[in-house]
Amino acid sequence: MSNVIEQIEQQIAKLSTKAVKKNTGSIRTIADGVAKIDGLSDVMYNEMIKFPGDAIGIALNLEEDEVGCVVLGDFSQLKEGDEVTTTGKLLSVPVGKGLLGRVVDALGRPVDGKGPVESRETYPVEKIAPGIIVRKSVSQPLFTGIMAIDSMIPIGRGQRELIIGDRGTGKTTICIDTIINQARINKVGLASGDAKFRPVYSIYVAIGQKQSNIARTIAALEAAGALEYTIIVAAPAADNPANQYLAPYSGAAMGEWFMENGLDALIVYDDLSKHAVAYRQISLILKRPSGREAYPGDVFYLHSRLLERAARLDGKGSLTALPIIETLAGDVSAYIPTNVISITDGQIFLETDLFNQGIRPAVSVGLSVSRVGSAAQIKATKQVGGKLKGELAQFRELAAFAQFGSDLDAKTKATLDRGARIVELFKQPQLNPIAIEVQAAVLWALQKNYFDSVEVKNVVAAANSLRDYLTTRKGALLTAVRTKAALDADLEAQLKAAADEWKATFSK
Amino acid sequence: MAASKQTKLLAKQLFKLSLDNGAVAPDRVAGVLGWVEKHSPRHALALLKTYHRLVATELAKSRALVEHAGPVSDVTLRQIEDAMTRKYRRPVAAVARPNPKLLAGLRVRVGSDVYESSVAGQLAALSAHV
Repeated sequence: MSNVIEQIEQQIAKLSTKAVKKNTGSIRTIADGVAKIDGLSDVMYNEMIKFPGDAIGIALNLEEDEVGCVVLGDFSQLKEGDEVTTTGKLLSVPVGKGLLGRVVDALGRPVDGKGPVESRETYPVEKIAPGIIVRKSVSQPLFTGIMAIDSMIPIGRGQRELIIGDRGTGKTTICIDTIINQARINKVGLASGDAKFRPVYSIYVAIGQKQSNIARTIAALEAAGALEYTIIVAAPAADNPANQYLAPYSGAAMGEWFMENGLDALIVYDDLSKHAVAYRQISLILKRPSGREAYPGDVFYLHSRLLERAARLDGKGSLTALPIIETLAGDVSAYIPTNVISITDGQIFLETDLFNQGIRPAVSVGLSVSRVGSAAQIKATKQVGGKLKGELAQFRELAAFAQFGSDLDAKTKATLDRGARIVELFKQPQLNPIAIEVQAAVLWALQKNYFDSVEVKNVVAAANSLRDYLTTRKGALLTAVRTKAALDADLEAQLKAAADEWKATFSK
Repeated sequence: MAASKQTKLLAKQLFKLSLDNGAVAPDRVAGVLGWVEKHSPRHALALLKTYHRLVATELAKSRALVEHAGPVSDVTLRQIEDAMTRKYRRPVAAVARPNPKLLAGLRVRVGSDVYESSVAGQLAALSAHV
């Protein structure tokens, strides 16, 4: 028996004196959050590097005699000659439902003062996008709650739809509205007890934004009761470029957890223009060769590998991406906008002129497109909104032509009147998404000429009145439209009765 | 002053000339230094600093720096030399250096690899996990 004890003790002695191998290096130079390191002969690309004082870095440049490394966090205490060690790990962030309702930084650390994040799992920040075989075509709708988008530029679960426009045209507002709409749908769906209902969780990644803007966004989501279904990843303008570069990948990792676990998620990258700028800054400090507009050669890959991670997986969930790009003076042919346009499955273009004319959301129907098309629409929307894009295009063409002449034939005048009413109908205040069944009912009323007798300037008021009427008095009808997702003869008859009733009250 | 691309390239070429059968040869290093002194190339200081770093890095790969808190015998040093020579498949010479901060045990450094078997290292690992 004592022999056995001796054997165990010998084994313990062996273990306790076993040398631990570390691969080390020393800082040669450090500036602007980028360290050049001697040594680290075993370092891997994208590996986490441990700096003194618990700072973390990522090895981005592996050269013959030095390693270029971006430092995440405070690098003011680091100095030349400090020893660094490899960790053998890729950068990972916490994932899971414990992050919902929280505001975290690019490394998944809470910054909202609500205590530690409850998460047991971590996902690597950089991950290869799902391959062809595991993917499924996009066919389930993701409702934004914005009539102009849901009826003409539908977005599906697993799609990548770019939101592009100049500053101050309402890009972020569209995304916030979409997040709020998901929360509203989630609440209704989960309360209904429908086993087939699939909630959509949202991730909002703020890159290079002012802290005040992020605070405003959080307040808007909280006020709308949407924060509990949302994760906010914040890498504000005051953060170092390395964190701004990493934030979208961290957000994607958090979204992938939902997708891999059979759930649906929506991720907003606000915005990728600033992300490209942060990456350019890092690349220039790392002395990588620069190309067009001083961006490095792999700036396309920077965004393609990120957006390819959005997908709908066969037998699992989906990750829908809404990247935002800010253009300068409406120039969509600049380097980064053209790159992201070519990567995504469509774009929603917001025009400054429309915004200034009071048409909000300022969606340019002519330049906006969803390559998924009507595959991501419910039948009811297809029935009532199928012709809208064509009618609006006709209106815009005729409106331009009509400016030169005063005499118009009756058909042209009717097209112009109808177009003007459609434009008015699509005006929608911010932070006020409209449920898809209400959208279908209002568009049905438009198609059935209920707005023709209303003056153009009163169309917004009439639409608001109809919406209020339907939501307050015809809840059962709206529920039937939502559950059936198509307008049959019976529903159309009920809609007609309701619209007639409303028309009588509105005219008065 | 940071070395330019050309200076780095020249330093690497001089470093390659300093190798004999993959190892740094003192006579070749002397030859290189003589050439630099004679021809005084542009940015000689930056060139020599880069060259010094390359040679030092290469020499560190053939040297096992054994830091120890207590006494270390010649036999132990020879055993370390043999083990490292086998591991790295090149002649590695052990050099002892006392370091009381280790408290007890050894720390062996070969190039950028560090083999930590000291009490100080174990305490640091423990504190990192707590």
